Amino acid sequence: MTPAFLSAVVDTLLPGDQGVPPLPTGTAAGVAARPEPLLSHRDGAEHDVALRAIARAAGGEDSFVRADAAGRIACVRLVEAEMREPFRALVALVLQDYYEAESVLVAMGWRVEPPQPAGHPLPAFDEALLEPVKRRDRMWR
Amino acid sequence: MARLDPVDVVVVGAGLGGSAFCARLSERAPQLRIVCLERGDWVDRSAMPAYRRDWQSAALGAWATSPNARLSVDARLPSADYPIDDSASPIKPLMWNGVGGSTINWAAHVPRLHPSDFRTKALGGVGDDWPFSYFDLEPYYDLNDTAMGIAGLAGDPAYPPKRSPRMPPVPIGRMGEKAARGFNALGWHWWPADAAISTVDREDRRACNNAGPCLMGCPIQAKASADIVYWPAAIKNGVKLRTRCVAQQVIVQGGRAIGVTYRDATGATQEQPAAFTVVAGNGIGTARLLLASNVGRGVDGALGRYLMFHPIAYARGMFKEELDGPRGPIGNCIYSHEFYEHQSGRPFIRGLQLQVTRENSLLAQAARLEPAWGAAAHRLLREEFRHSLPVMVVAEDLPEAGNRVVLTEGVAADGLPDVRVEYTVSENSRRILDFGLDRAEEMLRAIGAHRVVRVPLAPVTGWHLLGTARMGDDPARSVTNARGRCHAVPNLLVADGSLFPTAGAVNPGATIGALALKIADDLAREVIG
Repeated sequence: MTPAFLSAVVDTLLPGDQGVPPLPTGTAAGVAARPEPLLSHRDGAEHDVALRAIARAAGGEDSFVRADAAGRIACVRLVEAEMREPFRALVALVLQDYYEAESVLVAMGWRVEPPQPAGHPLPAFDEALLEPVKRRDRMWR
Repeated sequence: MARLDPVDVVVVGAGLGGSAFCARLSERAPQLRIVCLERGDWVDRSAMPAYRRDWQSAALGAWATSPNARLSVDARLPSADYPIDDSASPIKPLMWNGVGGSTINWAAHVPRLHPSDFRTKALGGVGDDWPFSYFDLEPYYDLNDTAMGIAGLAGDPAYPPKRSPRMPPVPIGRMGEKAARGFNALGWHWWPADAAISTVDREDRRACNNAGPCLMGCPIQAKASADIVYWPAAIKNGVKLRTRCVAQQVIVQGGRAIGVTYRDATGATQEQPAAFTVVAGNGIGTARLLLASNVGRGVDGALGRYLMFHPIAYARGMFKEELDGPRGPIGNCIYSHEFYEHQSGRPFIRGLQLQVTRENSLLAQAARLEPAWGAAAHRLLREEFRHSLPVMVVAEDLPEAGNRVVLTEGVAADGLPDVRVEYTVSENSRRILDFGLDRAEEMLRAIGAHRVVRVPLAPVTGWHLLGTARMGDDPARSVTNARGRCHAVPNLLVADGSLFPTAGAVNPGATIGALALKIADDLAREVIG
């Protein structure tokens, strides 16, 4: 499969947005930088099956690349309807790389660093909220 | 096959039940020679993903909660799993196979059952009564709480007073406070969760720093797990723990268990003779081994049957203001037991828990969207991430003989027969979930949710594997007696969640620990007088 075709598929699945800060496209986030996993049978999923089906639906890889956004989306929807499981596996794979990309985490207002060792601050519990419950009679039987 | 020196007790499984059992029995009867066989290994905390930037995708691969998901990845696994055919169950079994069992990747939400949960038959004519009461088990709840270290708050009117000490509760955060205001506005009960999580520094366990992904293990040991809570004491008391040893069969001769055959870490088969055999492999693993050993066939018709999960649904409210997202220990925030106790006039029998949890990681939230791709997915995630509040509806699952664990014809790589789960969500459970979803949405709307998304049944929630070797007096409807001894083989015991006659509507960890401690005490009394 050509790099142009893979990039076009990735950016159809992950088009990005113009929010503040903007979400990058899949390729801008580096998703198609390593095409091997997309083409492999990694983890028992047949990602290349879904990719080949997308190319077929468009009349070839080049046709998919040349299609406008609406045309690409129509091809992808067709494959999603025809082979749900392989398609979901392909989406799951590209989502993994995308939502761990630094630029995506920042755009979504989340930090780049992993959960440890810093953890997260949370305010202490305000026990006064419980006063109405504390006034209740025994509920258990 | 080598025949090893006989011991007094051989235990299969070093999860919560087996660990608590070994620690307690070795304390009460130090003269006993006790060996524990565990199919997995000690978990390597330095390998836990929470320090890594790929921690989100690790949760979908080698550190997934599902053994089948872990087995599907091409990697060295931290858990010694076996495949489970779950195609005939809408709820997928989750577990961890290693020292500590599923407490390695549990949420550590440790509520107790209610007293009424032990008497569903007497009170409402459904299910089966436990062969003892809440108050018989209460001292063991206290012991287990003390061993685990519980963060929580005394005084919950939904429970009898709890005597065991409590650390300050885990912070409930903005999501917990918002939900609490909703419950208060409706006049409904709520309380901060009991969590087996340190909120203060304690010896080698650091205080929780609200990092979030408890289900991939806790590298700072704030979260209690059986490997760090029970095993140091058990080993100090002389219990021999043999890891990477897969029990193949409980050997029964003349109605007595004479020991266990197992495959050791080298692949060699060993026979461990013992005066008592104890199985604690969880609701699937225990049934699998006992069925493979022909323990129940033709005698204990209940073996493998009456499997109970807790069917779970979600209502997720979307809010304009920023909430906590994945900050905080994921399963521990606040709960409501307003609808827990049975009340006539409702469209179902028994009850439910509403549990406010933390949110999933960004990737996990993105992956479950519908659609999961395209501009619409980006819009939905923008609306949801850090702005959603999930309320989990946990239904009491009544025991039904048709829900079961069965062996299939194949042989798995671990040498045991393949295993399948056959489970259907009952009409009563469905009505509980629907009622609970309505109440959860009512609360979320009361606090200003502009959109509520319902998940009618969450499939990847099968943590609670209960009931497949249930206790009782009637051998036709139960596998063991009140002391965990099999009716058909009196020196063969069970010490895990398989024993539950009914499930209540809360997480079972506290009860599994308490039950295993009680069974150890019962055996110690019989052995040493």
